[in-house]
Amino acid sequence: MKKCLLSLTAFVLAGFTVSAQEVKFEEYDLDNGMHVILHQDNSAPVVTTSVMYHVGAKDENPERTGFAHFFEHLLFEGTANIERGKWMEIVTSNGGSNNANTTDDRTYYYEVFPSNNVELGLWMESERLLHPIINQIGVDTQNEVVKEEKRLRVDNQPYGRFLENIKLNMFKKHPYKGTTIGKMAHLDAATLEEFQAFNKKFYVPNNAVLVVAGDIDLPSVKTMIQDYFGTIPRGEDIVRSFPKEDPITETMYAKAYDPNIQIPAIMAAYRTPSFKERDSYVLSMISNYLSSGKSSKLYKRIVDEKKMALQVGAINFSQEDYGTYILFGLPLGDVKLNDIVSEIDKEIVKLQNELISENDYQKLQNKFENQFVNSNSSISGIANSLARYYMLYGDTNLINNEIDIYISITREEIQEVAKKYLNPNQRLILEYLPKKDD
Amino acid sequence: MKTKISILITLFLLSVGAHAQVDRSKQPKPGPAPKIQLQTPVEFTLNNGLKVMVIENHKLPRVSYNLTIDNVPTIEGKKKGVSDLLGVMLGNGTTNISKDDFNEEIDFLGANLNFFSSGGFASGLSKYSERILELMADATLHPLFDEGEFNKEKNKQIEGLRAGEKSVDVVAGRVGLALAYGTQHPYGEYVNKASLNTVSFDDVKKYFREFFNPGNAYLVVIGDVDVATVKTQIENTFGLWIKGTSLNLQIPKASPNVQYTQINFVDMPNAVQSNISVTNNVALKMNDPNYHAVLIANKILGGGFSSYLNMNLREANGYTYGARSNVGTSRYDASRFTAGASVRNAVTDSAVVETIKEIKRIKNEFVTDEALANAKAKYVGDFVLALERPQTIARYALNIKLNNLQDDFYATYLEKINAVTKEDVKRVANKYFKVENARIIIVGKGSDVISNLEKTGIPIKYFDTYANPVEKPEFSKPIPEGVSAQSVLNNYIKAIGGKDKAMTVKTVHATANVKIEGVPLTLSAEMKKMVPNKESMEMSAEGMGVLMKQKFNGVTGFAEQRGAKTPLTDAEIAERSADYVIFPELYYDASSISLVSMTTIDGKDVYKLKVVKGEKTSFRYYYAETGLLARSESQSEIQGQNVTTVVNYEGYSPVDGIQFPYIQSVKTGPQTISLNLTNVIINKGVTDEDFN
Repeated sequence: MKKCLLSLTAFVLAGFTVSAQEVKFEEYDLDNGMHVILHQDNSAPVVTTSVMYHVGAKDENPERTGFAHFFEHLLFEGTANIERGKWMEIVTSNGGSNNANTTDDRTYYYEVFPSNNVELGLWMESERLLHPIINQIGVDTQNEVVKEEKRLRVDNQPYGRFLENIKLNMFKKHPYKGTTIGKMAHLDAATLEEFQAFNKKFYVPNNAVLVVAGDIDLPSVKTMIQDYFGTIPRGEDIVRSFPKEDPITETMYAKAYDPNIQIPAIMAAYRTPSFKERDSYVLSMISNYLSSGKSSKLYKRIVDEKKMALQVGAINFSQEDYGTYILFGLPLGDVKLNDIVSEIDKEIVKLQNELISENDYQKLQNKFENQFVNSNSSISGIANSLARYYMLYGDTNLINNEIDIYISITREEIQEVAKKYLNPNQRLILEYLPKKDD
Repeated sequence: MKTKISILITLFLLSVGAHAQVDRSKQPKPGPAPKIQLQTPVEFTLNNGLKVMVIENHKLPRVSYNLTIDNVPTIEGKKKGVSDLLGVMLGNGTTNISKDDFNEEIDFLGANLNFFSSGGFASGLSKYSERILELMADATLHPLFDEGEFNKEKNKQIEGLRAGEKSVDVVAGRVGLALAYGTQHPYGEYVNKASLNTVSFDDVKKYFREFFNPGNAYLVVIGDVDVATVKTQIENTFGLWIKGTSLNLQIPKASPNVQYTQINFVDMPNAVQSNISVTNNVALKMNDPNYHAVLIANKILGGGFSSYLNMNLREANGYTYGARSNVGTSRYDASRFTAGASVRNAVTDSAVVETIKEIKRIKNEFVTDEALANAKAKYVGDFVLALERPQTIARYALNIKLNNLQDDFYATYLEKINAVTKEDVKRVANKYFKVENARIIIVGKGSDVISNLEKTGIPIKYFDTYANPVEKPEFSKPIPEGVSAQSVLNNYIKAIGGKDKAMTVKTVHATANVKIEGVPLTLSAEMKKMVPNKESMEMSAEGMGVLMKQKFNGVTGFAEQRGAKTPLTDAEIAERSADYVIFPELYYDASSISLVSMTTIDGKDVYKLKVVKGEKTSFRYYYAETGLLARSESQSEIQGQNVTTVVNYEGYSPVDGIQFPYIQSVKTGPQTISLNLTNVIINKGVTDEDFN
């Protein structure tokens, strides 16, 4: 065993070349406006077929929240050629897995199959887009299931409503003020016609990107895509215009209560730009600097040295239109919530007044390189990234060169961005408190 | 050195020929089954006994090291938590590198390094692979133990316990393990504040010396490394680990399964869903000949979306977001079958009933050929999909070692899955899914769910959130604003017909049919009451005359049974003299009554009132909705024993505009008497004579 600590500067020399394997892909549009991205990787006999739709909670009628997520359930109910209740059986009986997820910005559906079932995956996704069955029985069943999902993931979970409360206070006009799962009363009030209209508006090929990734033969997959998706009619263009938020100029204070906790939490939330903006990348670096790893600034100061908190963290929760930068802490023992905020602020002020050290800067670069290498480790992960970079960032090739953005961020920029966004008068202070039984 | 050994496996997937014309009304047929290769790791053992497995995979420039110390599970007992504390203390510096320098370097490399009580895991970019290995080995061989750090971590752990106190899932997990295995078993014992406080700094160091031993350890290396190089690196680092004496430990036996199906209920008033888990212990090793059949049986019962449980509880009934079952394996014969779901409070009882129904179904009926084929296809698919990850190969190789499996266990895995028959499925379902000896562990909000669970007829036992048995708790709900003892009484009096009307009742004469549980006689009773405290009851059987009499005339009284007359004692006379036998609520003194809680009887909300009279306390329950009396509960001493008498009142019907309960059941100790009133007469036909 080497007894001395290797000089850290030795690694700085190893420097900036990133040697992760490049993700090769091909992309094109069908005549109906559907975007297609293909990625071939024959190293394992696995294929992912996925479709991302540019519809999320922010696209909903404010009186009908929860629709986007509800569709993530509804569109497994069956199609003109797939009987109700058979969807999952078809997938599993062919050795596949599938799922879907929804955010405020988009909805994503995918299947993973042994590669001899690529056609099956394409057929199923084309069925879902072309002619899903949306009827009352499906709506009624999924209404109950969605309510259970909310109870499971939100109402019965410690700290389950923290994001909801942050969003509620941070956004006054933009639909990000609501939750993705939506209000159950809105779902109860919704009519079948409203669901059908939502489908007609958003589930159209010109609002979707199809990704096929894995062990595929490119020419035959292209033929299948044309066969199954090419004939689906184009929909009307979707016009989006979301209200802009006024800047936050004075500290906002709010409280929220959770019956599932005993240890309170304090949160400071700042409005930040879209994840497409360079500043958002810088903020991700700042999060890492503050709270990733045992040597990170907040952990070391507040948890390790001062023993004031059980946990502290920084989250760059960034979305298509805005971001929210969240700092949080869970106090240890009788420590006051305000005292945790003061400690966090000391590190932020430092960040605003001084450049971070060369060593810390290099550490960040190494962390992001490691993250980048790991982000492309599975075929289904690559498929998701390709769809996301195309649809939400407008640049599919970010899958390979997003790391270059991080590499190009300077220490000076980190300081500037901290000064620009992370000021006390630009934030919400949320006390997240245990709710007493009575 | 051979770096890539692989085995070709036949896939039992449906496969058909070439691509035909597209007809979207038909589900596409699969193409020819792909060929899969099962890579096997390169293995070697160091002189100190550490067994190393290396899986080269150059797809991405990264590496991971996984250290597993395979100790027999042991009881930590009063010091439960000592191993957890060791886990969090490891990886925070070494005797060669200070804590800050160590953590700084790990982060600087962009690497991850975590330890737990029986091993550790490190990963990072392959260009730093050697240094990451050195740091991990140094942290394993020469950990820095500092008393200040120990105290800090202990405080954090104690505080951390609070974080889970109100989490239904955390409690369900803890209680499930503790009840299934018993708290005297390594898998059933749990950490609490007292046990953490008992752990000393020396205990942690001692635990480390005893349990971190290369003789029982495996190191798995995966990633962009060269076997020859990494072998030398490991020999130079982990090779210096000194072999300790291995402990000869025995694992205690897990608790036996229960004798009969029972609900084990834990009350958590904050719950909005009930966490239901039907569970029994099983003895199933991975090399058991039933292993593959059990996998298939579980897959069909609750192993996925299309399973019996999920299709019933989620898709047909919408009770839950997902229902699943699971069967664990253990080389120590300590694993569990579990089946359940998190469901909203209102359907807890139905979900229990449906879950049991589905378990019985797979035990009593053959699965369809289609369900069997689908389950097998899913296993084949999962097997193929999992091979994308090099970690799978490592896991397989380690499983073979740890579980003493045949070398070809995974090479023949699909073949064995494919050989499972529906007869096998039924047979193993009966052997392992022991619903008749199962605990149904439910963590939920008692005030919402218990009355319906009681109706299932399944015996219920109550436990606290740490699996200690408790008496049935009082399941109360928040009392609505404006409700007081007086308002409950006022509502009652209003409900029976109003104060003025009730005050006019001077005598009551009622006849009733009587059933005594376990007595096959048709009995009838004649009951008379006169204000304020006179009471008479005579019970007779057809053709047998009067069997029993009880009378009190305001001064004296007696009880007579089959001719044997017992006069009332002085104490009984005193008590009865102070009683009001007709609508006692009219005479309650405000200082003697208080509102205890809002609870439920048979699913209906009731207010519970406490009535204090002298030294005696009794309880009366009134329906929140109708205001009427639902139940009275009093204590008396019978032959030196304290016995509770519970009277339930139902079937209210008016007599001259005043409501009387026509159905009453009187439960005293183990005996239940039901009275069905046939006639009630007010202010007629009753004289003072009747009470002598």
